[in-house]
Amino acid sequence: MLLRCRIPLASFVLDIDVTFDARVTAVFGPSGAGKTTLLDAIAGLRDIAVGEIEVGGKTLFSSVRKINLPPQRRNLGYVPQEGALFPHLSVRRNIIFGSERNSHVSDAKTMSMEHVLEILEISHLLDRSVMELSGGEAQRVALARAILSRPQLLLLDEPLAALDIGLKEKILPYLARVRDEFAIPMIYVTHNVTEVLTLADWVLMIRSGRLVAQGPPGETLTSSSAVRAIPDEELENVFTVEFIDSDKAAGRSRVRLSSGAEIFVPYRATPIRNTLQVRIRADDILIGTQRPEGLSAGNILPGAVCAMEIVDDQALIRVDAGEIFCVRVTAGAVNRLALDAGSAVFLIIKTRSFQLL
Amino acid sequence: MILSFETWEITLFSLAVGLASTVLILPFGIALAWLFARKQWPLKSVVETIVLLPLVMPPVSTGLILLKIFGRRSPLGEWLYQRGFEIVFNWKGVLIAMAVMSFPLLVRSVRTSFGEVNPRLEQIAATLGASPLKIFFVVTIPLAYKGIVAGALLAFSRALGEFGATILLAGNIPGRTQTLSLAIYNFVQLGKDPEAYVLLGITVVLAFLFVWTSEWLLRTEKKA
Repeated sequence: MLLRCRIPLASFVLDIDVTFDARVTAVFGPSGAGKTTLLDAIAGLRDIAVGEIEVGGKTLFSSVRKINLPPQRRNLGYVPQEGALFPHLSVRRNIIFGSERNSHVSDAKTMSMEHVLEILEISHLLDRSVMELSGGEAQRVALARAILSRPQLLLLDEPLAALDIGLKEKILPYLARVRDEFAIPMIYVTHNVTEVLTLADWVLMIRSGRLVAQGPPGETLTSSSAVRAIPDEELENVFTVEFIDSDKAAGRSRVRLSSGAEIFVPYRATPIRNTLQVRIRADDILIGTQRPEGLSAGNILPGAVCAMEIVDDQALIRVDAGEIFCVRVTAGAVNRLALDAGSAVFLIIKTRSFQLL
Repeated sequence: MILSFETWEITLFSLAVGLASTVLILPFGIALAWLFARKQWPLKSVVETIVLLPLVMPPVSTGLILLKIFGRRSPLGEWLYQRGFEIVFNWKGVLIAMAVMSFPLLVRSVRTSFGEVNPRLEQIAATLGASPLKIFFVVTIPLAYKGIVAGALLAFSRALGEFGATILLAGNIPGRTQTLSLAIYNFVQLGKDPEAYVLLGITVVLAFLFVWTSEWLLRTEKKA
């Protein structure tokens, strides 16, 4: 899709010119960077001074050709931050609100109402009033409403921002399911790294209305320019792994990285789906130049340093150990170990430092 | 207490014309309130002021203006008369006076409740493919309906209390244009105090009911 727009805002001008084509594109940036404005512009809810928006080969807006489709005809599904469910309608009537639009579409089977409700686990809520829903339920209903309007693109505006941390972890898998189950491309606005790494194939980093970087999330978010913008605890690695087996007594499960290497993660009963995602903070990985012995840590992975960047007094080290791990250590540690690109190293990771999503 | 035929006639006439006036202004009031609450257009503030004028102008002045507009010697009055519509000194005059005097109350109340409807909901409805008309009737109106009902009740009670504009435009003709307010005035003038008190009682009860219901509606809307 093509996105080129110039929108004067109160304190800066939102000026974006980008072409991308990914299943899930994250728009990442701090609050006030113009992310919501961008979604509003794509959805046709806001005037654009100059620009052009093209989705799936269809021009939605063009200042040059004087095209400006109204929101009704853009065929997009918008899930705003607060969900914006209609408070006077039941959950059912909210969900079918947009479903008349493309009822003729041939994929009606894969996107049947039953299927969507099942994926999001909200079938039992249908006859409730939306006022009785919890935050997480309301977001899933808003998501179902948008999906069932059978849009050509889903716009998600920080769908997890209003939820507390425990709930976020619960809703994130639903979003991943929506991504995997329905062939609807998404633009996902967030200021949370985990969400980007978990869900997106491509990330656009925006600051003060400008695109500062774009690329695959794993690389882009751990680049030196990005790291300064990310809170310490959010610099992390997310990998898709294959479940092998579980040992409840030992408190651990075995999973396989895409490279074939096996790692231990905290115990999880055999999941329904074979693949899951694990994450590990860049600060929770130790680096050794020799294979250590007599450690409690469950994972010792051999690898080689493939890139290193010094950001102020810290070092971001990219280690190829089957997957590319991003590790953060102090600049002092790099000197002590005499690390350099190509150095052979061991990554030491506690089983319990991995988090399962 | 048994009410006399005359009392019934006056009360029912007032209620009927008041109701007709409220029904008449409702669609216009809702449309205008929406334009005030949701749209920007040139001279909006001037139009807003003109609509609110009857609220602050002496009702008699408004009545005089209406008489000049609808009187048979005015172009409009003459045009209407030739088509069989005579406004002045009959129930249609009462209707017009009530409608004009209560219109601002309706518009203000409805406008406020439109203003309290989150525009984001209307925007999201648009992205879901709803036409402007569907958005208006399925989202905006239901979310504002308590304010609309409260505004209509307020307008209805204002219509029942109308005096100044009515007496100028429709006169005070027993059996033809005499409303509760006009009749009370008439009875007091003629020294028929007991008859006036009966009507007074009716107006107090009606006013209490309307204001109480309207306030209750607005209170529950705030909570929701």
